[in-house]
Amino acid sequence: MEKDMIVRAENVDFYYGSFQALTDVTMAFEKNRVTALIGPSGCGKSTLLRLLNRMNDLIDGARVEGEILFEGRNIYAPEVDPVEIRRRIGMVFQKPNPFPKSIFNNITFAPRLSGVHRKSDLEALVEESLRQAVLWDEVKDILDRSAMTLSGGQQQRLCIARALAMKPDIILMDEPTSALDPISTARIEELIDKLKQRYTIIIVTHNMQQAARVSEYTGFFYIGKLIEFGPTEKIFTNPSVKQTEDYITGRFG
Amino acid sequence: MNAAAPSTSLKWRYFRQGLFFGVVRLSAFLITATLLLILAYIFMNGFRAISWDFLTLPPTDAMTRGGIMPAIVGTLYLTVGAIAVALPLGVASAIYLTEYARQGLAIRILRIGVNCLAGVPSVVFGLFGLGLFVVFLKFGSSILAGALTLGILILPTIIGASEEALKAVPQTFREASLALGVSKWRTISRIVLPNALPGILTGSILGIGRAAGETAPIMFTAATFFTAALPRSVFDEVMALPYHIYVLATAGTQIDETRPLQYGTVLVLVALVLGIDLVAILIRSVMRKKKRW
Amino acid sequence: MTRQFKEILIKNLFALLAFVAVLVLGLIVVFLFREGLPLFRQISPGRFLFGTAWYPTYDPPEYGIWPLIVGSFTVTFFSCLIAVPLGVLSAVYISEIAPARLKNVLKSVIELLAGLPSVVLGFFGMVVIAPWLQETFDLPTGLNIVNASLMLAIMAIPTITSISEDALYAVPREFKEASYALGATKFETIARVIIPTALSGISTAVILGMARALGETMVVLMAAGGAAAVPESLFDSVRPMTASIAAEMGEAPFRSDHYHALFATGMVLFGITLAFNLIADAISNRFKETGSGTL
Repeated sequence: MEKDMIVRAENVDFYYGSFQALTDVTMAFEKNRVTALIGPSGCGKSTLLRLLNRMNDLIDGARVEGEILFEGRNIYAPEVDPVEIRRRIGMVFQKPNPFPKSIFNNITFAPRLSGVHRKSDLEALVEESLRQAVLWDEVKDILDRSAMTLSGGQQQRLCIARALAMKPDIILMDEPTSALDPISTARIEELIDKLKQRYTIIIVTHNMQQAARVSEYTGFFYIGKLIEFGPTEKIFTNPSVKQTEDYITGRFG
Repeated sequence: MNAAAPSTSLKWRYFRQGLFFGVVRLSAFLITATLLLILAYIFMNGFRAISWDFLTLPPTDAMTRGGIMPAIVGTLYLTVGAIAVALPLGVASAIYLTEYARQGLAIRILRIGVNCLAGVPSVVFGLFGLGLFVVFLKFGSSILAGALTLGILILPTIIGASEEALKAVPQTFREASLALGVSKWRTISRIVLPNALPGILTGSILGIGRAAGETAPIMFTAATFFTAALPRSVFDEVMALPYHIYVLATAGTQIDETRPLQYGTVLVLVALVLGIDLVAILIRSVMRKKKRW
Repeated sequence: MTRQFKEILIKNLFALLAFVAVLVLGLIVVFLFREGLPLFRQISPGRFLFGTAWYPTYDPPEYGIWPLIVGSFTVTFFSCLIAVPLGVLSAVYISEIAPARLKNVLKSVIELLAGLPSVVLGFFGMVVIAPWLQETFDLPTGLNIVNASLMLAIMAIPTITSISEDALYAVPREFKEASYALGATKFETIARVIIPTALSGISTAVILGMARALGETMVVLMAAGGAAAVPESLFDSVRPMTASIAAEMGEAPFRSDHYHALFATGMVLFGITLAFNLIADAISNRFKETGSGTL
């Protein structure tokens, strides 16, 4: 049976000026699954992630070749608006980046942009998103307080809740736990496990145990190329490429 | 599946964006146009008055003819004097602030002091110069009093520019030197200062431009309405370009007849001041391109 | 002399030189007071500040600077009405929207504008703006609040733009990325994230711009008209404090009441601008403490 693939990258090349950061990457991401992208730093895994919601548009001199199909449509086609794409594909960054606003206003940022203004609607959204991000119980009484007063782990869950509030289809996570302590990391991982019921998650991580714990599929990148891509279990127990095995067993990287 | 239909259409959101971008572009354009308009106007009206005689002769016939040479010379003296006062003090203050001072009450006071000094109105500097240099220290209205007043006026500019230049020197340079057992003062004088020099220079040039164009601080401390003779000592009064413009345009008896002279003087002052500023801007942009770290 | 001793000596020498700036600030206060306070042996501070008649050369003279204070604040207010929107919006354009090359050109434009001597702008107001105003609106004089405010705005814009631009530039990249990733347009990112984050810096810029306009001398001396009366219309002449000091100090007999009154006016002016600067300093410091989030 053909699996339900929500995003496909087809023969993607990416350049920063004259530097080629990705070479001929082709891979597909299955709906409602967690896919992990691993590889040594500078291998292109974050670059690919940021291509999926057109965040690389913000970099001067960046150029994409090939196609990225989201629900069958090339998001780099000239008539496609990156703003629309980003609303459907949320992103969580390496370092928690809440706005210097109240917790409430952080969550309602995206919904307000698309025209949700009634207080009751916004309140319902805030509660729903925070509950999904397992942060509600900790912050329900301090919604007016600045998001900057939260701990790092709480800030990152707030950022996840903020992305959830725009009701995306996909959530991209760029090393979401690399700035967090082990306990906060564990909570985020639990959360990822819960969120995949409703969302497709693509996560970049430098932590191989994390990839093994949270993902169904894993792609291994090396020097801008997708070396191996398949079910996580296979990648970690029986990789078919020597480089993958070397990386996973810690021989380099 | 999850996406709710947005009720604020993207079209509307982009319309607002276009409108906003239009407004900010217009603001930047207006400011640029204002500058160009003023410069063009001054040039068109001023260049006819400019001649070799205008630049080299003193005013004659009750200031209705002749040139502005004493005013050019006076401005030169005042400006050189001002920078001679402000540069050593400013660089020393900046060295203390960036290299020596630790966070604390003293430095807080110092910073507030410098900020407040930068905000003192120029006419108050004039009053201060009058009270301290002219009256209390009995310098009289003189080059010395005027240069000291202008020097104090541009001190905050020099401190700010020097501080920025010193901060831009990478910390690793200092650490490398200190780790080789070089003393702090030698590190500063041999490593930090030479690397910060172009930045300090740029700031000082901007300070010179500022000093050359100021009027209010020298009105009561140095400037005189008319003297055909050039100053012989630092205790002499001088003519100065900005003050000359003010006097011709407001206090003369034949304001309309001297209009060409006024335009000419304005053009000379603007060319002098903006020329100085332009040199500083060019030095800085060349420096930025050359920067290796 | 040991090396350590020498090092300490050098450090203290620099500290000493650094404190000259603070010393000068102190001396400014001392000398303004020394020459200004004797006035209050003649009239009360209340009558000086709130008296509505400034006739220093009449017999008997009147030294009420209320019209001068009103004049100063009026031209400052109207110049900021022009300079704040233009200055802040240009800063947004330079920092967020303009292409790199244009950005550098515009920064130089702002710097050159800042470099224009005030006497030149005053002159421009006198010979260009004044006749035009007079003709267009059929006025007795073109030297008035409108003229002075226009010219002052040109003086205040570079201050406002360059400080606002620094504040906008300092907004962390992460905030912008977060906003774009949430599907915001560039305008929405600027209006809802970048400007609010930079707001304290922009406020500082506005306050310093106002202080600049308030303390500016030559422009108001030449273009404001010089009438020492509380204005009733935008086309009335005014005599701001700075203009009064600059115009009259040359004629006031040494250590006469008039001379002391001008120094006392300088005290008031100094006090007001000092307050503006301290407020700006406080705002920008609060910003530094709470500006960026902690991990």
